[in-house]
Amino acid sequence: MTTIVSAAGTVPRTIESLPPRPRPLARYFRETGLLVARSLRMIARVPERLSDVTIQPIMFTLLFLYVFGSAIHVIGMTYQNYLLPGLLGQSVAFGVIGAGVATSTDFTSGVVDRFRSLPVVRLSVISAQVIGQIIEQILGIVIVAGVGLALGWRPHLAGGRLPELIGLMLLGLFAFTWVGVLAGMLIRSSDAMQGLGFAVMLPLSFLAGTFVPIAGMKLVPRSIAEWDPLSALVAAVRQVCQGTVSGGSLQLDHPVPAMIAWCVLLMVVCVPLALRRFRTLSA
Amino acid sequence: MSPPELTVVTDGLTKHFGELVAVDHVDLQIEAGTVFSLLGPNGAGKTTIVRMLATLSGPTSGTATVCGYDVIREADDVRSVISMTGQFAALEDNLTARENLMLMARLRGYGKPAATRLVDSLIDRFDIGEFRHKLVKAVSGGQRRRVDLAASLVVQPRLLVLDEPTTGLDPRSRQVVWSTVRDLVDEGVTLLLTTQYLEEADALADTIMLIDHGHAVAAGTASDLKARIGDQRVDVVAVDGQGLDELVSALDGHFDLTISRERRTLSVPAPKEVDDLARVAAAVRASGIQVDEIALRRPTLDDAFLALTGQSAATVPTSDDRVEATS
Repeated sequence: MTTIVSAAGTVPRTIESLPPRPRPLARYFRETGLLVARSLRMIARVPERLSDVTIQPIMFTLLFLYVFGSAIHVIGMTYQNYLLPGLLGQSVAFGVIGAGVATSTDFTSGVVDRFRSLPVVRLSVISAQVIGQIIEQILGIVIVAGVGLALGWRPHLAGGRLPELIGLMLLGLFAFTWVGVLAGMLIRSSDAMQGLGFAVMLPLSFLAGTFVPIAGMKLVPRSIAEWDPLSALVAAVRQVCQGTVSGGSLQLDHPVPAMIAWCVLLMVVCVPLALRRFRTLSA
Repeated sequence: MSPPELTVVTDGLTKHFGELVAVDHVDLQIEAGTVFSLLGPNGAGKTTIVRMLATLSGPTSGTATVCGYDVIREADDVRSVISMTGQFAALEDNLTARENLMLMARLRGYGKPAATRLVDSLIDRFDIGEFRHKLVKAVSGGQRRRVDLAASLVVQPRLLVLDEPTTGLDPRSRQVVWSTVRDLVDEGVTLLLTTQYLEEADALADTIMLIDHGHAVAAGTASDLKARIGDQRVDVVAVDGQGLDELVSALDGHFDLTISRERRTLSVPAPKEVDDLARVAAAVRASGIQVDEIALRRPTLDDAFLALTGQSAATVPTSDDRVEATS
């Protein structure tokens, strides 16, 4: 530690010697950890973000369970058991919006520029974005599941179903978060990202059998719903939780493999594009 | 005598954004331990140049090196010797001043104890103490800039880039920035400063480059440029258009007049400063014409552009530097 007295002679300046640089992989993990910690600290600081993952899903649960649910009858199961897996699936898919808004905010505010002008491994900036978002969504999902259980949801998760559910949801979160990160980098305004995100995701989620069975829909919405990727997601979560399959199209007959296929497809498309976009943003 | 060590060298540095040529064949040479200022109006290309040097933006053509490292091929090495403070303070709004500084110090590679010592000393140095636990979004613009400056000095960079460091600052914060710049020069840091203020470039820089429309218009020491720009001027502001005409006919032939109708102003070079002010004032008084104001003033950036380009900087379309840099 060296102390230099500045020319003004008033404020001493401390210069710490920099520790030797670790290897790139060690730097990657260290920097990603620091940046994830930063993202998590932000969730608590921004009330809108906290409410997006806590109050909003609770509102959805209560409104559908007690307002719309009174008029919806699902044959063979309670509405709680129908609705909750749907809401869990929706929470996974809405990771697109959360990740998109957080990413576009970071990119427009200049914070990412500052990170990129530091000698940090570039991949750690984007990894931290993805991991931070996934943790944020998990928080929301745990809250929804907790509220659901308190209000009469009875999933059948014995015999290894719980790890299967967790694995599927993590895969879904990972895939949909990357979609959001890519969208957030392409749409350089967080307000536009928020608006567009809901305009696309909300109809897709309503169509996906999240709240009402697809089988009862009219031809046009039903045809869309049968191939909506969110339908596969919702149906897969529902199959794992309740052991029921609605069927109706190839992906709805085999929701778990269909959901895995969608997630892989989204990742194969979005991860390379997001990484490339991240690099070329600096060009 | 060995040639001076150069911290920044660019050769034909050029950046296009689609049709727009933001930076056009700029050749910079910045000697180690000096302050270099890019001076120009909004949209001149200053920010684009510094973004290329800070590895945030790749040149369309030409090359640039910082401390001998190529900004494209050795970007990571460039990042370890350069620190940049952007025009828009890039701090995390929802973290406190101290948390922002800690994050920067940790990302630079310091362990927690060293980072804590460093950040505490930066908080003292930049007078951040009283608001160190406030969220950055809640502090004033000047305080924010001080935090930003502190963040870029977490390590002692070899090249510090300050992009319009005092634009929109209150006088106290401006003083902090200026005295910091002088301290850093004493510590041997090389500085690249962009500014719209001739006064700032004059006060701080060893070498000034005038930039307009992405071109280097002129470069030299402050005194070189001043010799070319001209001296102080005496401005006479008339009460109205007719008063201006009367003044022109009264003073024409006695003085070298520059007339600005929209500002109702006559301007006279004043190499002898107060003596010239007195001569002009005496002539105005002798004419008996009423005026709003007679004043001695320093040459402005506008005068500099007029003198060196024959075109007023005010007529330059002001596309925002940042929009241009990120589009």
